[in-house]
Amino acid sequence: MPHKHTRADRGAASPRTVRSHQELEFRALLDAAVDAIIVVDHHGTIEEFSRAAQQLFGYAPDEIVGRNVRELMPEPYRREHDGYMHRYMTTGEPRIIGTGREVRAQRKDGSIFPCDLSVGHVRGIEPPRFIGFISDITARKQADERLRRSETELQLAQKLANLGNYVMHPGGETADYFSPQLHRILGVDDSERRIVRDEYLEKWVHPADRKRVSEAFERMDAGQTPLDIEYQVVLKDGIVKHLHHIAQAMLGSDGTILKHVGTIHDVTDRRRAEDEARVLQERLTHFSRLSTMGEMAAGLAHEINQPLAAIATYAQACQRLIRQPDHDVEDVLAALEQINAQALRAGEVIRRLRNFVKNREVKREPVNCSRLLEDLRTLAETDARLHNIRLRLDCEEPLPTVYADPIQLQQVILNLVRNAIDAMSEAPEDRREVVLTTRMAADREVEITVIDQGTGLAPEATEHLFNPFFTTKSSGTGLGLAISRSIVRAHGGRLWHTPNDDCGARFHFTLPVSPAVTTGE
Amino acid sequence: MIKEQKPTVFVVDDDAAVRDSLRLLLKSVGLPVEVFESGQDFLDADRDDRPGCLVLDIRMPGMSGLELQVKLNERHSILPIIFITGHGDVPMAVEAMQAGAVDFIQKPFRDQDLLDRINQALDKDAGSRRMLAERNMIRKRLESLTPREREVLDLVVAGKANKVIAGDLNLSQRTVEIHRARVMEKMEAHSLAHLVRMVLEVERPEA
Repeated sequence: MPHKHTRADRGAASPRTVRSHQELEFRALLDAAVDAIIVVDHHGTIEEFSRAAQQLFGYAPDEIVGRNVRELMPEPYRREHDGYMHRYMTTGEPRIIGTGREVRAQRKDGSIFPCDLSVGHVRGIEPPRFIGFISDITARKQADERLRRSETELQLAQKLANLGNYVMHPGGETADYFSPQLHRILGVDDSERRIVRDEYLEKWVHPADRKRVSEAFERMDAGQTPLDIEYQVVLKDGIVKHLHHIAQAMLGSDGTILKHVGTIHDVTDRRRAEDEARVLQERLTHFSRLSTMGEMAAGLAHEINQPLAAIATYAQACQRLIRQPDHDVEDVLAALEQINAQALRAGEVIRRLRNFVKNREVKREPVNCSRLLEDLRTLAETDARLHNIRLRLDCEEPLPTVYADPIQLQQVILNLVRNAIDAMSEAPEDRREVVLTTRMAADREVEITVIDQGTGLAPEATEHLFNPFFTTKSSGTGLGLAISRSIVRAHGGRLWHTPNDDCGARFHFTLPVSPAVTTGE
Repeated sequence: MIKEQKPTVFVVDDDAAVRDSLRLLLKSVGLPVEVFESGQDFLDADRDDRPGCLVLDIRMPGMSGLELQVKLNERHSILPIIFITGHGDVPMAVEAMQAGAVDFIQKPFRDQDLLDRINQALDKDAGSRRMLAERNMIRKRLESLTPREREVLDLVVAGKANKVIAGDLNLSQRTVEIHRARVMEKMEAHSLAHLVRMVLEVERPEA
C-alpha cells in the first residue's frame, strides 16, 4: 500500500493538496486494474505506476516515478524509445498507439518477460500524456510453446511411426482434421480437402478389401464395436500399402454420430518383412523335407523296386504259362491281378513321396492323427526296413482330430523316426524297434511320441539339439529338429524329449485338439 | 545214390508279391518250389538237407539273408544259395559271395537269368550230393574191413611193398597177399591207384 500518495507526492511539487473527485476515481481505477498501468509524459517520464505495475516490475512507486519509462525496457527498445516518441510527437503517426503489440519488458531485478502492450494518447492536456497497459503473457507464451512443441513432436512421432490420425465429422458442420502424416500415407497434398468415406472406399481401398472394410465401418457406426482392421490401399500412383486402421465412432445422446476418431498405421514394411520371413521359413521347411527324403532315397528305391520286381516276374511267368498247351487259366488270371495290384502299389509309393516333397501352400485342416500315422507308415517303414529296424504303431482310439497341416506333421514325425533309426544303427537285434504312439494328453492335447532304444542323447548334445545346423550325423543338415520344433510351435504345440526307460530316447510333441468336433469321421 | 529225391527250389523273401511271383515263375517251368516268408520259417521247416537250391532275399526284417546264410553254414548245409539283391546292395552281395553263395541277381531280373542261375545251382547241388554219397559209400566199405585188413590197407596206401609190410606186421608175405586181395575186393577197387584215390577222398578234405 505504499502508493496512495503517488500523485500527491508529485503534487507536492505542484501546489495541490485536495484531491479532486476525478482523481480519486482514477486512483481507484489504477489500483483495481489487473493489467499494469503506467502514465508517462511526452518525454517518457513516469507519472503514475499502478499497483499491478509495481507487482509486475518490482519497483516501489518512489523508486520509479519521475524516471524515464525506458528503464522498464530491455535493449533494443530502451535505446530506440526516445526516437519512437520523438517521431510520434513530430509526425503524429502512430505505431503502437491504439493497436497494441507484443513486446518484452525488464523488471527491476533485470529479468525480462514477454508482455502485451497497448498505449493510449491522452489528448487535451499539456504536456500530452500517454497511458500504457501492460499484461504479463509469460504463462500464455509458455503454454503456446509447449503446445507448439508437442505438436511438432507428435508430427515427428507420427512420421517416424508412419502413423496418421484424423477426426471426421459426418455432419460436416465442423471441420475435419487429417494429420500431415495421414496425408503422406494416403498420398494426398496437405490441402484442406475433405475425404469422405465413400470416396475413401472407392478411390483408396483395394477392391479386394472394399466389402470387408465397408462392413467394418458399418459395424462401427452401428454401435459399440470399434474399428480394428487391416487392409490394403492403392494410391493414385499405383503404390499398394498395407494399413492398420483403428477408429471409433463418438455417439451423441440421441445416438447420432458426432465424429469418428481414428488412427491409420502404415504397416507395409512390417507386412512385407513378415511375408519375406514366411516365404523363407517355407523354403527352409521344404528344403529340410527334401533332405529328409534324400536320406531316405535308398529305402524308397527299394520300396519301388519290390513291386517292379514282382510285376516283371509275374509277367514273365504268364508268358511261359500261356505258351504251355495245358496251362491253368486261373494261374494266369491271378498273376495278371497281381501285376495290376503291384503297379498300383508302386504308384502309391510315388504318390506319397510326391505329396511329401512337393512345394506347396501350407494348409491347415482337421487331421486324424492315427490315420496320419497309417499314411506315413509306407514312407517310414521303407526307411526302417532298409536299416533292419521294425516300426510299431500304438495308437489310442478313438482320438480327437487336430487342426494342422498334414504334410508338415508328417515331416515332423518322419524326421523324428529318421533320427530314431539313425540312433539304432549299432543296436543289437532284439532292440531294433521304433515305436510310434499317439494318445490323448491332458489339456485337450494329442501327444505323439517316437521311442527308440538307441544310443540316447549325450548331455552336451541335448543343449544344442534344437539349434539350427547342429548335427551329430556325418551327413545331416542340422535343420530337422529346429524346423520340426518351429512347425510344432506354429501349430500351438510343444516338442521335447525325455530319456527312454532302459536306453535310447523319446521325442514327444503335442498338438491342440481342433475346437470343432472331437472325433474323426 | 540211394534216395531219389527231386530237387526243390526254396524261396525265402519277406515280400509277399515277390515271393508269389517267383513261385509262379518256377511252377511255369516245372520246377518244384517251396516258399518261406522269413529265414526263421525256413530253419524251422528243416529243409536244408533236401536237394535243390535256395533263392534268398538279402534284405529282410528280422533275420536278414546274410544271417540265414551264416546259420546254414553252421549246420554244414551244402544247399547252394542265390541271393536276390536290390540296388546298392553290392557290398552285401560281396559278403554273401565270400561266405560261399553261388551267385546273386539284382531285381528286377530277367526270368531266363534267374532260371539259368537256378539250373547251375541245382547242378552244383547234385554234384555235391553225388560226391557226398560216394564218400559215404567209401566210408562204409572202409568200415567193413577187419582191423588187420585196415592195417594192411594203410601200409599199401603209404606205398610199401608186400615184403616190407610182411616185415612190419610180422606176417608171412603170403598172408599179406591174401589180406591185400580181400581189401581190393571189399573196397571194390579196380586198381591200386583207384584204391589210393578212394582213401584220400575220405581222409583228407573232411573238416
